[in-house]
Amino acid sequence: MKPKKRNFCGRTRREFLWQGGCGFGAAALSSMLAKDNVLSAADNQPGSLNPLAAKLPHFAPKAKSVIFLFMYGGPSHMDTFDYKPKMTGMDGKTVDVKTFGRGGKRTGGRIVEPRWKFSQHGECGKWVSSLFPNLANHVDDIAFLHSMTADSPIHGSAMLMMNSGKILSGSPALGSWVNYGLGSENENLPGYVVMLDPKAGPISGAKNWSSGYMPASYAGTVFRGQGSPILNLSRPDGVSEAMQREMIDSIQSANQRHMESRVHNSDLASRIASYELAYKMQSAAPESVDLADEDEKTKQLYGIDNPETNDFGTRCLIARRLVDRGVRFIQLYSGGAHNDDNWDAHGDLELNHNRHAGRTDLPIAGLLKDLKQRGMLDETLVVWGGEFGRQPTAEYAKGSGRDHNSYGFTMWMAGGGIKGGVSYGTTDELGAAAVEKPLHVKNLHATVLQLMGLDPNNLSYFFSGLDQKLVGVEHVEPIREIMA
Amino acid sequence: MKLVFHPLLLFGLLVAVNLPNAATAAENEIDFQKQIQPLLAKHCYACHGPDEAESGLSFADKDSAFAEADSGDHAIVAGDVDSSLLIARILSDDEGEQMPPEGDRLSKEQIELLSKWIEQGANWKNHWGFEPLSDPAPPVVEAVQWQSNGIDAFVYQGLHRAGMKPNAPASKQALIRRLYYSLTGLPPTAEQVQSFVNDQSPDAYQQRVNDLLAAPQYGEHWGRHWLDLVHFAETNSYERDGPKPNAWKYRDYVIRSFNDDKPYDQFVREQLAGDELEEVTVDTLTATGFYRLGIWDDEPADGLQAKFDGFDDIITTTGQVFLGLTLNCARCHDHKIDPIPQTDYYSYLSFFQDLTPYGVRGNGTGFNQIDVTSDEVKAAYRANDAKRVELEKLIREIEQAGIAKMSAPDQRATEGPRRDRQRVLKAKLKDNLDGDQWTRYNDLKQQFTANAEAAKKLPAREQVLGVARYERVDKPMNVLFRGSPHSPADEVQPRFPELFDAANPEFPQRESTTEQSTGRRTVLADWITSDDNRLTARVMVNRIWQFHFGRGIVRSSNNFGQLGTPPTHPELLDYLANRFIESDYSVKAMHRLILNSKTYQMSSRGTDAGMAADPNNDLLWRFDPRRLSSEEVRDSMLAASGSLNLKSYGPSIYPKLSREAMSGQSRPGSGWGNSSPEDQNRRSVYIYVKRSLLTPLLSAFDFPDPDVTCEGRFMTLQPSQALSLLNGEFAHQQAVRMRQTYGGEGVSDEAFVKATIRGAISRDAEPAEVSDGVAFIQKLQQTHGVSAEKAKDLYCLSVLNWNEFLFVD
Repeated sequence: MKPKKRNFCGRTRREFLWQGGCGFGAAALSSMLAKDNVLSAADNQPGSLNPLAAKLPHFAPKAKSVIFLFMYGGPSHMDTFDYKPKMTGMDGKTVDVKTFGRGGKRTGGRIVEPRWKFSQHGECGKWVSSLFPNLANHVDDIAFLHSMTADSPIHGSAMLMMNSGKILSGSPALGSWVNYGLGSENENLPGYVVMLDPKAGPISGAKNWSSGYMPASYAGTVFRGQGSPILNLSRPDGVSEAMQREMIDSIQSANQRHMESRVHNSDLASRIASYELAYKMQSAAPESVDLADEDEKTKQLYGIDNPETNDFGTRCLIARRLVDRGVRFIQLYSGGAHNDDNWDAHGDLELNHNRHAGRTDLPIAGLLKDLKQRGMLDETLVVWGGEFGRQPTAEYAKGSGRDHNSYGFTMWMAGGGIKGGVSYGTTDELGAAAVEKPLHVKNLHATVLQLMGLDPNNLSYFFSGLDQKLVGVEHVEPIREIMA
Repeated sequence: MKLVFHPLLLFGLLVAVNLPNAATAAENEIDFQKQIQPLLAKHCYACHGPDEAESGLSFADKDSAFAEADSGDHAIVAGDVDSSLLIARILSDDEGEQMPPEGDRLSKEQIELLSKWIEQGANWKNHWGFEPLSDPAPPVVEAVQWQSNGIDAFVYQGLHRAGMKPNAPASKQALIRRLYYSLTGLPPTAEQVQSFVNDQSPDAYQQRVNDLLAAPQYGEHWGRHWLDLVHFAETNSYERDGPKPNAWKYRDYVIRSFNDDKPYDQFVREQLAGDELEEVTVDTLTATGFYRLGIWDDEPADGLQAKFDGFDDIITTTGQVFLGLTLNCARCHDHKIDPIPQTDYYSYLSFFQDLTPYGVRGNGTGFNQIDVTSDEVKAAYRANDAKRVELEKLIREIEQAGIAKMSAPDQRATEGPRRDRQRVLKAKLKDNLDGDQWTRYNDLKQQFTANAEAAKKLPAREQVLGVARYERVDKPMNVLFRGSPHSPADEVQPRFPELFDAANPEFPQRESTTEQSTGRRTVLADWITSDDNRLTARVMVNRIWQFHFGRGIVRSSNNFGQLGTPPTHPELLDYLANRFIESDYSVKAMHRLILNSKTYQMSSRGTDAGMAADPNNDLLWRFDPRRLSSEEVRDSMLAASGSLNLKSYGPSIYPKLSREAMSGQSRPGSGWGNSSPEDQNRRSVYIYVKRSLLTPLLSAFDFPDPDVTCEGRFMTLQPSQALSLLNGEFAHQQAVRMRQTYGGEGVSDEAFVKATIRGAISRDAEPAEVSDGVAFIQKLQQTHGVSAEKAKDLYCLSVLNWNEFLFVD
């Protein structure tokens, strides 16, 4: 077996393999090439050509795909899933409590009593607020993480932390790591898809789905539910599919002529193949977002028939369709832009959370139900949460707005490999900070990788003299108690 | 257990890490530096290296490796494999004994390699990168024409030893295209190719080299290489991703420096200490923009941590870019692989202690905008500024007093965008103030307006991005326990890394204030650029080599440490470093030496024999063909359409971005400007680099993430590239312009196809290409019913998609 010649950013094949068959040189389509006999079998080693070619996990995975429902802005945990009965009747009382948010560090404030009623649900008897009447029916499938903490209570850095594990910008996102570790099962679709709120993206935009120091092949691809899903995917006006095929054929015949005297430059063949893939993507991607073949019942399940839930429901349904088609990592943003266009309830808590829970409760419940009835929930890991939670006290002299809180907040996971009906960790009786079994964002990331069959403490990428890891250099435990 | 294994090792894909390749293997002696040391570094150093010596064993240096371990045994006994515990422990099946204790076992080939090395006498050499520079003479080779240029002699010798021959010279067409891209990042025109092909004079090639080195486009192309290394960007990242005013002046400084052939040592000194030099000029101050290129969080969760993260960026960048050293790995503990103790990191940091951070909240520019206007104008501005600040303070005090009485949503609104604040104030401030306050408020506002009017009448102030204020250094730096600024430990003094065995530096005696630097950075810069620094010259000539050949003599060009890749031609590397020093660090002289070699001028064609013997081209038997970089792709399309605007220097430009591209921003379109059509036709190096909104066409072709130093670009061939060239608006725009340029009134399809190919790839069309092209244009019209114009547009677009357009032989 002869290794192929490559020029990977000036690195040797040794490093290339070491770095995980990353995108240098020939990020195209080993399997297709094999089918077309463009490359010899010897050249077609797994992981050596297409950076997104499916790769073996470290061990048997529990989940095959991740749907990360990102509640951008930071939902309030004590108003949603972290029941704080002791706060009842305390509205307006001044308490001593340490908080740190955008308004800085404080040592006390005026309690804002949770604004929604809690009641128990499911066999596990989970207390859920009236913000989530539909989702409450699924608590027996969900593991709640009540003791989450993060390093920053400021949107910019906290978003980066939740997405890439670091408050410094420039590192690959969780979705990039998953694709780097496992590749994609569907060569005609991106392996890491991001679907944004129609209003706008989150703070820091593309930084949140960047592949950082890894090749761009691992970056998230922004997918739109309407029109052309991907940038430059649709043919320009006046160019039909047949005309484009005509053009690609013409390009390929010129390329074949050019390659005749350059048989030893395999990048040329790879680039030829990338055109065939691009051509296929033009039909595969629109097909994946086309809901015409979904029945009315399914659409209702996701709330697509209701203007309030139409957008998020549509995106949840597309997410399920993408999972169906082998996409590894899908991230949906609930909320975009600034202030009350997302969960960032600084002013009127009720207005804000009623709006965003109202838009997402039914679609998320529908997603869980649909995944379950199709037998897909076992292999699909659903993650819910924002970049932090909110404070028990008021931010301003008047009103119900809460500032950011990274000392303690709630996230939940369901599906692929998760034990349902479980609540892990606690915050204090005000929900100000995690007290029992505190978790860090890194534990959450480690859990996602672990369930996907990747050892979080061994999945590394050599950069800047170090084996870089999503979870950092120190050993990080996944949350084993919530694993089925 | 601290060994770190890469998953791919677990995947079992990595079969033979450092097998001698067929070319060099034979029965030659095992090369410790190339074959053994990297194995030890990767698999053993984490527990038995410079940082840890578990069980009393370390492979970090010869003495320790051969010494008796705690157990009383020896890991390595030269010539005696059976007594060498290293091999026994690797082979052991006992889980408690087995090495490495976690992860995959070493491969059979690797173990054989280690055994054979011990058998051959366990010859140990110190790490090549940390040895002082040698000055090897080029060898005498049998091929006379490979003798006159030292580069060729070294390369020929390497090939000869492996029983190989260098490729024949490239054709003149291929060579001139290669040369244009190498030096300017732009294609030659068909006329330029023709003139070279027809030029039979002996110095025809040399002449082209000199001409291109003198062209302003040279600095634009090579400056961009440098901008990758220092991770140039014009915004700060994070929520606001706010602009870095005047960052473009640093970019222009870099381009000018290359164009002027500024000696590399001076170039380094200016960037590190341009504010401290004997002769400080606007140019040298602009060079200190180097320190201001990083990310900056204007509301860090932990300010002290953020400050040291900023230092870490400077240490990472200066360490890797100037010295090829990963000093950054010693931030939290001693370096696991290289002999760099943690104290080195903080001693090195001490040189930079007087650097202020990029900014602090509320003062985004005070530390980083150096006023370079005349003293009188400065004074006038200072007075006006002081007045403005004072007035703002007084105005705000009254506003806040009123705001405190408002409702929560109103209070919240006053903290949002300025527009919202003004709206609330306009509607409600008066009602929340008493009469005196209101009168005084209006009076202050009037004064404020008058002051602003006065400022407008002052002559323009000029500022550059750089180090404008200093941190007063009044105590020594501490080692930070596990890298945490909240856990200071032992004090350290500024000192060069230990591995250099350099004398302790001496510093000028001067007071450190916010207006005056410590002078330490000059001392560091002088040491880095001294002729006997063993790494500086090697690292830079290696980069120059890399940007011509696509790979360095040391492939890991930011890492000359023990986890880096060993040089394929160690003697050549030192030879070039010496020539570089002798030429007083002239980058252009190095270009001439390299470009005039036969090695550079070889054909890129593969041969079966060559591919079989040396598929990685380690020995340089051919020139490696390459894909164009992102900037080259875009610039070449502009050149092909005849619309490339070669205007040099100045503020950055904004190509038009689609709505989709901006939809990911939290405020779509924010921070992106408009440029005139002429400006949008300028070279890609002038495109505004906004961290959270990189130009999609450039990103698709592997424009690097600007948050970290990039030693070399990825070269992917992903479908998003095909999509951007098939469907993207920019590509279509260029295709239409090509049709307008090459297909005027009365031009036959045949003539049009010929002109298009000539315009796009600078050569005459082959007959088959002409007939294919004409058939394509006619078929589109006949079968698909499109206009002749549209058919020609699409033909032009197809040529822009050809492999030949995107690859250089």
